[in-house]
Amino acid sequence: MNERTGEPTTDLERAIARVLVEQRITRRELLRRAAILGPIAALAPILAACAGPGGSAPASAGAPSAAASASAKAVASASAEPTPVPSPEAELNVYNWDAYIGETTIKEFEAKFGIKVHYDKFPDAETMLAKVRSDGKGAGYDICYPTSTEIPSLATDGVIRPLDLGLIPNAKNLGTQWANPGYDPGNQHSMPYMWWTTGFCWDGAKIKTPLDSWEALWDPAYKGKLAMLDDIREVFAVAAFRLNLDPNTKSAADLDKMAALLEEQKPLVRTYTTDDIGVVTGGQAVIAHAWSGDVYQMTSDVPKIKYVIPKEGAVRGSDTMVVLSGAPHPVAANLWIDFNLDAHVSAANTNFIGYMGPNAAAMEFISPAILADPTVNPDTRCSTSSSSS
Amino acid sequence: MTPERNRWLTAFAVAIYAFLFAPIVVLIAFSFNDSRRTFVWRGFTLDWYPKLFANGDLLDALRITLEVAAVAVLASTILGALLGLGLARLRFRGSGATETLLLLPMVTPEIIMGISLLIFFFQLFGAVGSVGQISIAHITFCISYVAVTVRARASGMDPQLEEAARDLGASAFEAFRHVTLPLIAPAVVAGAMIAFALSFDDLVVTSFNAGVGSTTLPIFIYSAIKFGVTPQLNAISTIIVAVVSIALFIGWRLGAFEAEPVRPIDELA
Amino acid sequence: MERVAPTSGGPVSGVAARSRPLSSRIREKSSEALLVAPGVVWLGVFFLVPIAFIFVVSLGTKDAAGHVVLTQLGPQNYLQATRPEYVPAFANSLRYAAVTTILSIAIGYPIAYWISRYGGRRKILLLILVMLPFWTSYLIRTYAWMIILRDNGVLNGILGALGLTSEPLILLNTDFSVILGMTYGFLPFAILPLFVSIDRLDANLVGAARDLYASGRGAFLHVTLPLTMPGIIAAALLTFIPSIGDYVTPDLLGGAQTTTAAKLVQVLFTSGRDWPYGSALGFILMLLTLGGTLLALRSLRRETFA
Repeated sequence: MNERTGEPTTDLERAIARVLVEQRITRRELLRRAAILGPIAALAPILAACAGPGGSAPASAGAPSAAASASAKAVASASAEPTPVPSPEAELNVYNWDAYIGETTIKEFEAKFGIKVHYDKFPDAETMLAKVRSDGKGAGYDICYPTSTEIPSLATDGVIRPLDLGLIPNAKNLGTQWANPGYDPGNQHSMPYMWWTTGFCWDGAKIKTPLDSWEALWDPAYKGKLAMLDDIREVFAVAAFRLNLDPNTKSAADLDKMAALLEEQKPLVRTYTTDDIGVVTGGQAVIAHAWSGDVYQMTSDVPKIKYVIPKEGAVRGSDTMVVLSGAPHPVAANLWIDFNLDAHVSAANTNFIGYMGPNAAAMEFISPAILADPTVNPDTRCSTSSSSS
Repeated sequence: MTPERNRWLTAFAVAIYAFLFAPIVVLIAFSFNDSRRTFVWRGFTLDWYPKLFANGDLLDALRITLEVAAVAVLASTILGALLGLGLARLRFRGSGATETLLLLPMVTPEIIMGISLLIFFFQLFGAVGSVGQISIAHITFCISYVAVTVRARASGMDPQLEEAARDLGASAFEAFRHVTLPLIAPAVVAGAMIAFALSFDDLVVTSFNAGVGSTTLPIFIYSAIKFGVTPQLNAISTIIVAVVSIALFIGWRLGAFEAEPVRPIDELA
Repeated sequence: MERVAPTSGGPVSGVAARSRPLSSRIREKSSEALLVAPGVVWLGVFFLVPIAFIFVVSLGTKDAAGHVVLTQLGPQNYLQATRPEYVPAFANSLRYAAVTTILSIAIGYPIAYWISRYGGRRKILLLILVMLPFWTSYLIRTYAWMIILRDNGVLNGILGALGLTSEPLILLNTDFSVILGMTYGFLPFAILPLFVSIDRLDANLVGAARDLYASGRGAFLHVTLPLTMPGIIAAALLTFIPSIGDYVTPDLLGGAQTTTAAKLVQVLFTSGRDWPYGSALGFILMLLTLGGTLLALRSLRRETFA
């Protein structure tokens, strides 16, 4: 649900929704498309229905700040074959977004282990996936950062290798809801990295009344001043929440309803974009479907920006760290993951990026400003959707 | 053309240069923006420039980009110029097919070219991306642009010129070197400039053919967009513009661009 | 130039063959083939072979997880891709590319002419200045355009300050901004070939034409324009073809109504994860562009040189 390819050009996920809606694709075709949007079944476990304080989503135990103790079992289930004397390699090839890591994390890692890190960047998530899948084993990289939705298929296809949990004792730092995620039971193949929500934001200087429902995105009052994310999965999820349907539905009738609702919305939309920051700061939109991390970054530019996780529910997405199956430096790779799960390092990453990590032990080191910001760190109780599809 | 109309033409030219440079002025201005992102002006700062020079990754990306561009421009200019010249002169059985072959890379959507090379290199050579692979890809899509430009200049060039040189005893190479090359030189330079711009800016084909240690500047920039365009990216563009401008100015003062002035046609009569 | 089909009797036709003995003509021909050979071989190896791989992919199918399956090759993707729903996107592509090409040549020709004829000793410098903006990043340039064109942008600020508008004009996310962005992006690709073509003109020829036609306009229409036609054709090629395939500009500067065919291909490959279908649609786009271009070229050249 959360291809987070947050740049506007190559990501080019201008909603297939738009294509669908604009081109009036038949129902069968719609289903076909929906099916190829990646394994939808894989979406279910991480698609969290997050409810606002007064919301109706089922409450759950798993707030990020929950005690860390329960997650120790992730460590207990260390790999059956003990690693033979893990002496780390001299180098490590990391494939990630630019600046999607603390400012000093790489240098500290290099200093601690004497490993030289090559930090390559990818322009969008789809390109990254095409690259690491090109030879079926990671194209020479050790570590990459796919969204959690990708984990099941990457594992099934053998593109990523099981983690050596014996090398990752810091897995105990994970919050309980991250210790055994549905997309990767027991964190066998991945460790969560950062998470966010997808709600909508508005310019508080231009809209005075607080908004709390997705209905606002269909309000004719904002015609031509409304922006939606250029991301098929996100856009369809919004329609699902409005219709009180399962966002992971595979039902043709449901998808038809969602498409029809989006089609109804389209005349109001100024643009479908991943530049959710730019459309608001530029004045093109007063209300925009947006990723929480982006809104957080916008607050210095548009102080009156407001963000809400609507009462109908919203998507929570996350990125993960994985070791590729062809990794030339697997020991160093596992050490890297462990290092990034360290409470101080994880907190430093969060403090620089402005996204919350899954790290319960890091909470006390995260800047109070971020912790207090409901955009980044919603005090809502997010639950993992129990969708069965 | 009367001086009056000449003035209109000059005014038009000035307006178009202003159009070409308008975004560059904005880009430079926002490199001094005291904000983590470029979108809203929040005051003047010089901070982004020292940060830029401390950013080893960014400088590496720039270096790789320039290396690739140098190789791509050199090879595609030679191959493309020969191709354009041959096509302009030659009427042979395969010329229609050659012309089609020349247009094909231009009409191919970038993503298809990028993925086709990705598959090609892995299936045949087991290669998964490198600076060399990027360079080969760039040469491939630059050739056509150079060839089309050179062909425009060479077609209609009197073939009897080179022939005359040959009749006077010049070898084929000498005739080419002293007669043909000077005639097509401006088109070759123009083609090389287009090739440089294409190579320097390419994202899609490059990103599919990049591998470990080959992040180029466009990949860097697009990746950085996830967190908004930082003024650092404007700063590096500003430095490029500044360096090229200074080089141009020096070159101009030294007379590097001395061109044979051509009299305006309209003023002949 | 019109291609001349070789007759079955003589291997060579055209001007070059006129005065030379047969052996020389054959040598001539092989030397020209030698010119073309390296480029043709390069494109054969690094373009045609890879494209052949993708063509095979376009005949395949994909499974539920998005993997390409090549067990049952067939034209199904092509049959599915030719659907009326895609017509608006193709129409948009064609419209943007056509307007961009016309604007680029209409603006580029006078500029190229001005540089060539009035640039004096500075003309190479002036030419390089045309290219200079394009040695910065495309994305950063486009963001600069967004700063200029957005609702609270530079242009609206100026218009408002001058009292010309009371409400900000909607410039961004429209056909206007897409065409502006594309024309900006491809203008240098028009100016350069036009320049090399105009600059080559033999001034004496035009001088003679002035004597014949007496008016500058007549000389321009009957001599300058036809003689620079190869430059115009090259300029048209270098702007029309890339602008048909451009999806980035419509994506960044366009809005909810500006989907293009190239964008469709891109979406199918990326969020669609359907490489076979995306390739099929891509090949259709290529075929249409190529066919149209070759037809236009043939008629243009025939008109000019027949």
